Amino acid sequence: MADEFIKGLGIFTGAGLAWMVLASWYQTESFGSTNQLIAAPPEPANLFDALAIGMIDVLLWFALLGALTFWVLIPAGREARTAYRNRRSN
Amino acid sequence: MTDEQPTEDEEIRTDGTGLVAPDDETPTWLERKERKTGLSRLTYEYFERARREDQDLRMESDYVERDVLGFPTWPHETVRNLSIAAFFVGIIFFLSATMPPHIGEPANPSSTPAIILPDWYLYWSFGLLKLNPLNPELAILGGSKLMADRTYGVLANVVVVGFIAIVPFLNKGSARRPVEQPFWAAVGAGGVVLALTLSLLAVKNLMPMNVDLLFDLTFLLPIVIGIITYAVLKTMREGYMYDLNRRYYRLRPPR
Repeated sequence: MADEFIKGLGIFTGAGLAWMVLASWYQTESFGSTNQLIAAPPEPANLFDALAIGMIDVLLWFALLGALTFWVLIPAGREARTAYRNRRSN
Repeated sequence: MTDEQPTEDEEIRTDGTGLVAPDDETPTWLERKERKTGLSRLTYEYFERARREDQDLRMESDYVERDVLGFPTWPHETVRNLSIAAFFVGIIFFLSATMPPHIGEPANPSSTPAIILPDWYLYWSFGLLKLNPLNPELAILGGSKLMADRTYGVLANVVVVGFIAIVPFLNKGSARRPVEQPFWAAVGAGGVVLALTLSLLAVKNLMPMNVDLLFDLTFLLPIVIGIITYAVLKTMREGYMYDLNRRYYRLRPPR
């Protein structure tokens, strides 16, 4: 169980940090605005910009779905399988 | 657990067997001093009682545990603390390198900005200044208010700060964990949430929601969170973990 927790936490913090950096580069007009990290990204000027802008949403969903998978789905699946096995054996 | 009945003149042995004062017969500090047996004996008795209770509860428990009571400062604790410190310093370097904050124009002292806010950790106090709807209009005064809204807000600060200032003078009891005192833990959780919601009320012109709803939630949410905390902790008290952890509570100083 602790293994699943640290896997989820590692994905959540690592991908979240990378998302925050890229979103602050491309989706933040200024750190004084109320529209930080979620503003519309600019048109990519070169290949690196295009890759980075494409990675923003990938990283965000990886952070959210990765944490959800390891913290909720896999433990819930194990619990369900154990409950099912106990019911079958009783 | 052994149930030996030690006689009056039996010497306290140092190998952990024999006489250990039960909980309700624990001598007070004054009684301990009156024995004139010295601080070493006093210290010994305290730790010996704690150790014995711990041992008894371990014997009762079927919980499998390792025989590790602590780690040495060097190298274990030092290396751990250095690695934790290095991690956070690295995060600060990383963020300041990748996201350098824009440093704005210097403040103009001759013009007042439209939005004035204190530092974020004082937002709760600033929120208390915005309690105008709670300032009652008294019928006896012909519908006028007893005091100005700004006076009311300052008095609300006095009430909150006064309540917090009383805390050190209250008997804090012997509880070590929230689960031991669900009610007071609920009061604490409600207070923390109230500080948060008052902070949000302080920046109500930046909050993307109805101001009236925000004002109501400011005072309803702490109550809801307090009730949830109380229910959860009450439930935890019933669980087996509470019994299992009770041996840690026994390691408390004498009365």
